[in-house]
Amino acid sequence: MNSEEAKNILLLYRHHNPADEADAAVAEALALAKRDPELAAWLEMHCAREFVLREKFRQIPVPEGLKEQIISEHAAGQRPAPRGRQLVLASAMAITMIFSAAAYWANHRPPVEDNLPVFQSQMAGNALRGYAMDLLSTDGGKIRDYLKAQKAPADYVLPAGLEKAALSGCAVEGWGDKKVAMVCFRTGRPLASGVESDLWLFVVDQQSVKDAPANAAIQISQINRLVTATWVRDGKLYFLGMEGEPGELGKFL
Amino acid sequence: MADSLDFNGLVTAYYGMLYQFAFSLTRDEAEACDLTQQTFCVWAGKGHQLRDKSKVKTWLFTTLHREFLGSRRRQNRFPHIELDMAAADLPVVAPPSVNRLDAALVLQALAQLDEIYQAPVALFYLQDHSYNEIAEVLEVPLGTVKSRLTRGLARLHQLLTSVQPQPPKP
Repeated sequence: MNSEEAKNILLLYRHHNPADEADAAVAEALALAKRDPELAAWLEMHCAREFVLREKFRQIPVPEGLKEQIISEHAAGQRPAPRGRQLVLASAMAITMIFSAAAYWANHRPPVEDNLPVFQSQMAGNALRGYAMDLLSTDGGKIRDYLKAQKAPADYVLPAGLEKAALSGCAVEGWGDKKVAMVCFRTGRPLASGVESDLWLFVVDQQSVKDAPANAAIQISQINRLVTATWVRDGKLYFLGMEGEPGELGKFL
Repeated sequence: MADSLDFNGLVTAYYGMLYQFAFSLTRDEAEACDLTQQTFCVWAGKGHQLRDKSKVKTWLFTTLHREFLGSRRRQNRFPHIELDMAAADLPVVAPPSVNRLDAALVLQALAQLDEIYQAPVALFYLQDHSYNEIAEVLEVPLGTVKSRLTRGLARLHQLLTSVQPQPPKP
């Protein structure tokens, strides 16, 4: 390496920069400078000039407030939704909560008056409004097993006429904090498309219904469009309904 | 390092040197601010993808440089002066005392370099980036960085000689 080659190498040399001094070619050029007075003088001037230039670059003033601006704008990007949007979200959440509460209340509300007429009306409404059976089955055993598993009355006793009716499934309804077994049958009449049942038996704990019949006598009554029969047996209240005439219902008792 | 830095800590650590690099490239305060801010904006969105957290400084400078190149392509308003053509007109004077130059004149000289030399020279003087770091930031081979630095520094020195302020006449 001669003096000119060393100058070309040392042009990139930054004094007291460990990374630069670790370079083998730089180290060789520096060693040559120690032996070459002219190169040493050039290196001294070069280092002084580079030091000043470096300082000039580092003197570039950074605008006041730039850091704060960057941080605040970043924070703004992560800020919760604007107030107007918050109101919309809050309203949506409130509406959702209201509907959820209403739905829960509809299914679990305690009866305003837990007497027999209310029970009859409510169960008749369940049948007429349309419902979704929890279990579609013609197997009486499976229906009882399901109802038992749901802690709904499953050990009900069917009248002789109803024993002969075709089963279609079951559901569990609520009566206050009690569960009502809803057993669905078919009368044998033609059913509309999508209709699985036209005869319904509801069974609930007798004690949960005020004014329940005190004896096994069957009460026939018209509730809404349904002709119904109500009776009690072994601590349970039975409520059977179908659309039609009382005579037709009688075949299932 | 970045492991222990949240966004605010990262900004505090690097915004100054990033701005200086941006200003070295643009010579425009507003544009340099935008580039610096945009760099941290990109970090906020993509920084988590950086696997080697020791590379955060290089990552930030690389991002800023990319943003600069992107904005330059969009705006196409940066003067391009071929130093080889301008050098013929440079006066031959004695080596200047750069102490009498201010930062603005140094940046003015930097601006007259061919664009391919500006970024490596700025990085060379700012924060003592190693050659490898400069190569990573500019995404060019190490040899290319050294070559550009050699030519860029030599020409910067020539330009600074030409802009040497004249002492006041008695």
